[in-house]
Amino acid sequence: MSSARAALARVGIVARKELVDSFRDRRSMLVILVTAVAAGPLLLLLVLNLVASQIDRDRELKLPVAGIEHAPALAAFLERQQVTIVPAPADFERKIRDGELDVVVDVDEDFAADVAAGRSGKLRLNFDRSRDRARNAIEQTQGLLRAFAAEWGQGRLLLRGVAPEVVSPLEIEVRDFATPQSSGALVLGLLAYYALFAALIGAMAAALDTTAGERERGSLEPLLTTPVAPLELAAGKWLALCVLDALVVAVTLGGFYLTLRFAPLPSVGIPFLFGFRQYAAFIAILAPLILLATAVLLYVGLRGRSVKEAQANVSVLMFAASILPVVQMFMRRKDPEWLLSVPVAGQYALLSRVLRGDALVFQEWLQAFGAPTLLALAALLLTARLLAKESVLAGR
Amino acid sequence: MIAVDALVKGFGKRGRVHAVDHVSFTAPDGEITGLLGPNGAGKTTLLRLIATLIVPDAGSARVAGHDVVRDRHEVRRRIGVLSDARGLYPRLTARENIRYYGALHGLAGPALESRVDALIAALGIADLADRHTQGFSQGERMKVAIARALVHDPEAILLDEPTNGLDIMSTRALRDLLRGLRDQGKCLLFSSHVMQEVTALCDRIVVLDHGRVVAIGTAAELLAQTGETSMEEAFVRLLGTPAGRAA
Repeated sequence: MSSARAALARVGIVARKELVDSFRDRRSMLVILVTAVAAGPLLLLLVLNLVASQIDRDRELKLPVAGIEHAPALAAFLERQQVTIVPAPADFERKIRDGELDVVVDVDEDFAADVAAGRSGKLRLNFDRSRDRARNAIEQTQGLLRAFAAEWGQGRLLLRGVAPEVVSPLEIEVRDFATPQSSGALVLGLLAYYALFAALIGAMAAALDTTAGERERGSLEPLLTTPVAPLELAAGKWLALCVLDALVVAVTLGGFYLTLRFAPLPSVGIPFLFGFRQYAAFIAILAPLILLATAVLLYVGLRGRSVKEAQANVSVLMFAASILPVVQMFMRRKDPEWLLSVPVAGQYALLSRVLRGDALVFQEWLQAFGAPTLLALAALLLTARLLAKESVLAGR
Repeated sequence: MIAVDALVKGFGKRGRVHAVDHVSFTAPDGEITGLLGPNGAGKTTLLRLIATLIVPDAGSARVAGHDVVRDRHEVRRRIGVLSDARGLYPRLTARENIRYYGALHGLAGPALESRVDALIAALGIADLADRHTQGFSQGERMKVAIARALVHDPEAILLDEPTNGLDIMSTRALRDLLRGLRDQGKCLLFSSHVMQEVTALCDRIVVLDHGRVVAIGTAAELLAQTGETSMEEAFVRLLGTPAGRAA
């Protein structure tokens, strides 16, 4: 009993020392602060402003038209639709290519003459479809022109005593459910992704320092001559990394919370809340990932022959892990059930659902906790086994 | 007391290179035993075997009656190790470095603090004690590492090349410290490739070459055995002759 207590005491002693040591590593702490904590909210602000400017564009369409004097009826129609007509600059083709203009309508010189002669009047619609930002303006302009054509045609039919329904047997009513949400989706994904990213890399520098770094410094050898057992050592280091990683995650999410709450945000109509409840749910969802990421970092770090080698291995691992949510983001299908058991992917799925406001059931929690926790324990035991081997002094 | 009996440790493919080859000797309490040998003679490997860091292929070693393989934990409680790389934590202060090991050895509270204070005073590092060890000189680092190795008042003290990189004053201070420990009845085992170092300090010398014991005895005994008048000549003779190597 007392030996178990002594073992636990040693775990605590190791953990405390590692925490103090990590917090004094100013450079690493600064890197964490910049990459995980500061960059997230900054990126969020950027994206929100982008979304907002897009919404502004949609709201009031300023349409550059060249040769509007040839088509006064069109000018009257557009004005009725609250579109501001601006004269198109002479070099509008170049400006479209450069992305300065989204779309320009170009009225043919012979428009009035053609119409008067009973031929179709010609309009040219200029745009660059490869520009995402321009897409809304393009669609809106196309719709407007189509509506103008339809109105005009119907007027002619009526003059001839034909009901407009004769030529338009189909009435299409468009109901778009995505509108403000679709712009919010990007923000949702970003928030969940950044939280995951913070959990993955939060303890990276400290983990390398406490494994490969400890060996390279020559401090592992004397440490292993003390009564601390390999499992105690591994557990102590793990505990310290978990605390550190959890702090990084908490601060990162805190940054999001404060940004969304107090920063002068444009009214984007974000379809979600990131309040205290979401904050707590995020931490709870990320907890198993924190356990796993730190344990794996510990093992991989210890396996590296040098800090440099360990760093390379860890980078590959982290890259693979952080690319997973990106793949998910592009998969449009609904997530399969088993995905919740996959570390990282499962957490990402749950985070997104919390943001969408979905309630999570107990079984899903269990699923998302199970695999990562078990894997974390396995990595911890492997680390302890590695520490017990004499080859650990030389790095394998 | 440290008792080493026919200890064998090999490295490389199938352990073909014998770093330690049937080594036997005894290092009694209240004496300083020196492991003397050229670079690569197996001194560090031997110390690591006794410090439970590596496991022997054959033979045994005991510290205060505890086997280094079977009673690893008991051995670790009784030894203080100064390893070749001093292995201090650069972001911790000297005091924190020493305290960490004391805590791992089960010391706590006022007992730990007074022990750390006493060591800091004994080693004359009071003005360094609360600075981060980053940027310490070799001598300062050695003193902190020694204090750390002694924090739990170990019965046996293993030192790997303790005078490496030390200036004359630090070397003298270290010698005085080790003699003081010997007079307290500790068992000291230290390795060096510097003959003067070993002869100046050791009560008993174990000469190693190619992983084997070439000779054991006091300085006087080694001189008599080789028929030389200077230790340097005796040393060269012991290492150079096939007869010596077979012994």
